[in-house]
Amino acid sequence: MNDLRVMAPDGPDYPVGLLDLEDPPQLYVLGETTTAPAVAVVGTRRCTRYGLNLADAFGHALSRAGWTTVSGLARGIDAAAHRGTLRGQGGAVAVLGSGVDVVYPVENADLYRSILLSGGAIMSEYPPGTRPDRWRFPARNRIIAGIASAVVVVEAGVKGGALITARLAAEMGRPVLVVPGDVDRPASVGCNHLIRDGAHPVLGVDDLLTELEFILGEPPNQMPAPAGVIPATGLVIDDLPSIWECTPAEALARLARMEILGEARRVGDLVLPGSG
Amino acid sequence: MYAAATSVALVGGEARPVRVEAHVGRQSEAFKLSGLPDTAVREAKDRVRAAVASAGIRFPNRTVTVNLAPADLPKGGTDYDLPIALGILAASKEIPPLREAVVVGELALDGAVRPGSNAFGAGVLSARQNVPCLVATSVVGESASIPGARAYGVDSLAAAVDLLREGLGRVEPAEPGAPIVGDKAPDLADIRGQPMARRALEVAAAGGHHLLMHGPPGSGKTMLARRIIGILPPLEIEDAVETAMLWAAAGRRRGLVVTPPFRAPHHTASKAALVGGGSGNPVPGEVSLAHRGVLFLDELAEFPRGHLDTLRQPLEEGVVSVARRGSSLDFPASFQLVAATNPCPCGFYGDGRRPCECRPAILGRYRSRISGPLIDRFDLVVRVGRVDATEYSGPQGETSASVASRVGRAREGQSRRGQINRHLDVGDGQESKAASRLVAKAVGNGVLTARGGDRVRRVARTIADLDGTDLVEEHHMAEAIGLRGEWRDE
Repeated sequence: MNDLRVMAPDGPDYPVGLLDLEDPPQLYVLGETTTAPAVAVVGTRRCTRYGLNLADAFGHALSRAGWTTVSGLARGIDAAAHRGTLRGQGGAVAVLGSGVDVVYPVENADLYRSILLSGGAIMSEYPPGTRPDRWRFPARNRIIAGIASAVVVVEAGVKGGALITARLAAEMGRPVLVVPGDVDRPASVGCNHLIRDGAHPVLGVDDLLTELEFILGEPPNQMPAPAGVIPATGLVIDDLPSIWECTPAEALARLARMEILGEARRVGDLVLPGSG
Repeated sequence: MYAAATSVALVGGEARPVRVEAHVGRQSEAFKLSGLPDTAVREAKDRVRAAVASAGIRFPNRTVTVNLAPADLPKGGTDYDLPIALGILAASKEIPPLREAVVVGELALDGAVRPGSNAFGAGVLSARQNVPCLVATSVVGESASIPGARAYGVDSLAAAVDLLREGLGRVEPAEPGAPIVGDKAPDLADIRGQPMARRALEVAAAGGHHLLMHGPPGSGKTMLARRIIGILPPLEIEDAVETAMLWAAAGRRRGLVVTPPFRAPHHTASKAALVGGGSGNPVPGEVSLAHRGVLFLDELAEFPRGHLDTLRQPLEEGVVSVARRGSSLDFPASFQLVAATNPCPCGFYGDGRRPCECRPAILGRYRSRISGPLIDRFDLVVRVGRVDATEYSGPQGETSASVASRVGRAREGQSRRGQINRHLDVGDGQESKAASRLVAKAVGNGVLTARGGDRVRRVARTIADLDGTDLVEEHHMAEAIGLRGEWRDE
């Protein structure tokens, strides 16, 4: 359904970030690519429910805010970040350690198709048909680090791909943002080490968006939220009249209609989109 | 030598006649009092004797027997001083017989008449039995305010004696007193931000709806609740009287105050303090002191479960039965319930900006205290969110006076229909098709419970009243649903 393209380092649409690598590879690409700055969300496959929720929320919020997200289509954090992105404005980029026509792991086949359908991209430095050998994955990580203008690590153990991505990104001068975790939780040990070594701790969705805007400037594909649509990060109920430019009575009525249609739900002070 | 006077006892907030029978016998000097008097009534003997002497009248140096009938009704307070004194004087032929006049008042030792607590009761009996009544001058306006009452004010025993010697028929009764506006309630202008909670308060006031506010500590729930009095319409005179009599039965003086009562019992209050009780003659509790006004329960979840259960009957029937061995007494208790609660013990459950630190077991126990059946009693359930620091310095809110004028107009439609919307039977209002469909849909997909659906329709009626329309439209219903941000697990 998508034509395979080959992008060479000297080509016009080659991701500029990859030129920071010592050996910018030729890329095989399915789907649509942009040259806008992207944010990588990565983490371990052996993650926790907490990490999955956060990765999903990050992917969603980043996409809503207008960032393209990059990850590795792996089990766990990677997949959650992709899924969150798809619930947002889309714009997911998956970098594979196999050929772009080889879906690995198979459980993510649906995700693979959704990324292409939603206007995202699948890319790899390996020719089509290349099998997913273990040794290729660390190399794949250097492409993620290169494409991304910033790397967010959600969960990482003592060693693993996410740490490699973070280290490579740091070496190329990319900001590395890391979610802190319990000191005795295996899935957070790597993260906490990164923070000790100087990575920026991410304290939540809002903090992430604020920090990225501070480092990278405004997100590239900002889409003004259509009136009435609730952003993933939610709206404070008492702010609705001023956001919707109506009386409190009208805002309450509108909120109720959205609740009945399943488009919104209340959680304490906030109104959140209904789907999540 | 025998004479009798009539006085008043309050039973269940209702005025009942008490006959004060006086007999002056031939035996040597003594003063006996019978008919279930409490200590205050028993002490009337000393006050009456001194007051009579101060008035320059001879107290009979014979056996004086006073009986308060019916004998099985417990009598308390100082209201019987004046009728006892006048009864004795009539029995010893110092003054003409009292006939049916209702007499109420406490005597000072110098013969002055003090108000006592029952001027309204005297007026009610006066009107009901078409007889004159005699009360202290300072409260005669209260008695006279009862339509049909003929009230006379006296400021001393001597003045009462003069008046009775002249004959009540030859003197004009007192004019009704002017209604009193209570202390000014704090103003809504003090509340900054909180647009949704303000709207909920206005709708609650307009329809007399029960309101639950939940939100983190310091968000202004209590401030909002205390301001509802300032936007409620004043009481009708008869309601003010009914309220004042309940207060009198509880031993509290409340004049012809037309500002609705606001009662805020603490969660440590006993059950008897809340619903009424006490030994002897049962006295009304907070639910009856809030009759025709507002009962505010702050920290709702801290109230013992059993106490909250006792609110069921007054909430449904507008009266509360106080059971006694062998009998039970009904006190009117038709109040608007306003309650506030934190969402959890630490107060931050559901706060988007600060995590809740409660342990799950404790959180569950706390939230289950305010669960299904109780929540279903509230027509309006609103979250009161935290106010940002910037809003504190923001512009003042709308004043109570301007909100009150809208509430007043909304109440006009309801008085035409004969009842406030809180008591409305669902289904007798006019609803547009779209409005009916919306509420059915909301119940269908679980946004509302079935009972919540009924409550929402009443609230929608009120919103239409605020709008000045007879037909409940879809947007009225939608707002009413929006004002039931249900207390559910988030």
